[in-house]
Amino acid sequence: MRIGLVCPYQWDVPGGVQYHVRDLAQTLRGMGHHVEVLTPAEHEESLTDPWITFAGRAVPVPYNGSMASIQFGPVSAARVRRWLRDGHFDVVHVHEPAPPSVALLVCMIASGPIVATFHAATTRSKVLAAFGPVVRPWLERISGRIAVSDFARRVQVEHLGGDAVIIPNGVHVDGFAEGPLLAAASGAGPTIGFLGRYDEPRKGLPTLLEAMRTVVRHHPGARLLVAGRGDADQLHRMVGEELRPHVELLGEVSEADKAAFLRSVDVYCAPNLLGESFGVVLIEAMSAGAPIVASDLDAFARVLEGGDAGVLVPRGDAAALGRALADLLADPERRARLSARGSEVARGYDWPVLARRILAVYETVVVPGGGRVTALEDDAVPAGPPGDEVPKSSRWRGGDR
Amino acid sequence: MGAQAWLWTAVAVVVLVLLAWSAWSLVRLGRLEGRVQRARTALETQLRRRAGLAAELAREYPDVIGPDRARALAAAAEGARATVPEDREAAENALGRQLRDLPAELPGVSVPLQADLAGTGTRVALARRFYNDAVRDTQALRSRRLLRVLRLHAGRPMPRFFDIDDRLEVLAGTSAGSPSADRP
Repeated sequence: MRIGLVCPYQWDVPGGVQYHVRDLAQTLRGMGHHVEVLTPAEHEESLTDPWITFAGRAVPVPYNGSMASIQFGPVSAARVRRWLRDGHFDVVHVHEPAPPSVALLVCMIASGPIVATFHAATTRSKVLAAFGPVVRPWLERISGRIAVSDFARRVQVEHLGGDAVIIPNGVHVDGFAEGPLLAAASGAGPTIGFLGRYDEPRKGLPTLLEAMRTVVRHHPGARLLVAGRGDADQLHRMVGEELRPHVELLGEVSEADKAAFLRSVDVYCAPNLLGESFGVVLIEAMSAGAPIVASDLDAFARVLEGGDAGVLVPRGDAAALGRALADLLADPERRARLSARGSEVARGYDWPVLARRILAVYETVVVPGGGRVTALEDDAVPAGPPGDEVPKSSRWRGGDR
Repeated sequence: MGAQAWLWTAVAVVVLVLLAWSAWSLVRLGRLEGRVQRARTALETQLRRRAGLAAELAREYPDVIGPDRARALAAAAEGARATVPEDREAAENALGRQLRDLPAELPGVSVPLQADLAGTGTRVALARRFYNDAVRDTQALRSRRLLRVLRLHAGRPMPRFFDIDDRLEVLAGTSAGSPSADRP
């Protein structure tokens, strides 16, 4: 199958959507499909693979807690048109098409089967509420919609109309399951891992630090390993004298070190208070075989199968968290059980499994004899003032050749 | 300019805007009509495929699934292929029920057939969701007041939802992978 993937965010800037598109493209290519990617980038030189096409530079703006790339105008439109004409795709798959970006341009210009994946997960988004009604006419062209989580689906239903099937984010399970351990995690005493921006209160580190006091009472050698970015001085103040020997700051870790970190800790803890739409990090931890203690956010409970694949504690409850951690550290059998169940659950999020589910969506929207994706004529985008003849359905079926 | 000239200008602007809006709406309606048709074609393709596979299973492996069940399955597959549009949903539901009642293990049935049967179940659910999605978008646009007042597309038939029980929660659940494997 010939597949065109469209990433609206700058390829050379780290981000969840970019990784998603990259991993999906690589997995589908590995399965023998012809895949091309159209994406903006900060530096054109950073797009080294011949199957990735530069869509120009984009202006980053804050969007739903991350940075969206605004990109519009005739030059970008011409690039999109050329890419669509040259690609001869059976299906194009755009990501996050609501903000004005190269993904929305593809929706406006392409004629033929379009699949879209919605990632955004903030239910009350002013940006989406503003954009929604404006872009709706073009989003109506999408034949199959995917949302990466229940949350993302709700956003889509509320602001953009229409429904979506849920296909979650993927993880390269094997990359996490096997590999070296982290040297910093070795040594006496059990270890608890925390990963994320530690100075963001919603990530819940203060709750975890409070809980650590309970943990060290039962396990005097226990250590909390903190990996991620943030203000180190602030963390030191937060930790305080008493806990200092029990907390170790690893700082920002690379992808490889992150996997090693997750493989090494005795328990992985996600004390987040709110705001996680989908617990990718939990799936990564499960892939690495780490037993998990997490707060009972909807997204976490779903990933952990309601507590079957990890321990859930009430969010923000330091006492309950401390008890859960201390109990789990004292029970190696239970840890082994959780680890085994976690690895099993993580398999369902492995990229090859998810890529096959996404392929089923492609195969559903590609109607036999329906023709390939093409670009509409220049004058058709967007509809200008009315001429004498109003093109009706003929334009939509312009794809048959 | 006199008052009358202003009035005429205003009228002309209103008419132009209305014309532009109507044209744009007609483009959208036409596009949606195309999308509904394509989605319907996809859905029909998957439903026919499912009926064909069910018939094949009943014909080739009556001793694996049992002669009674094979007869019922063959009848349901035949019903799904033969019905008039009005009874379509009921017939497809009957076939879906038969297929769901099959034992999880079908020893002796060729592996490709089993895989196709499983795959076609998912694709029916996907196709149905995408079709209903297209119908929902169409109905939302057609119910706009100005559109109804101007009677744009009023003569065209309103597309209907296609409702069958295909266990869509399999697709809706966030738990990935083998969604039905360990669930009641």
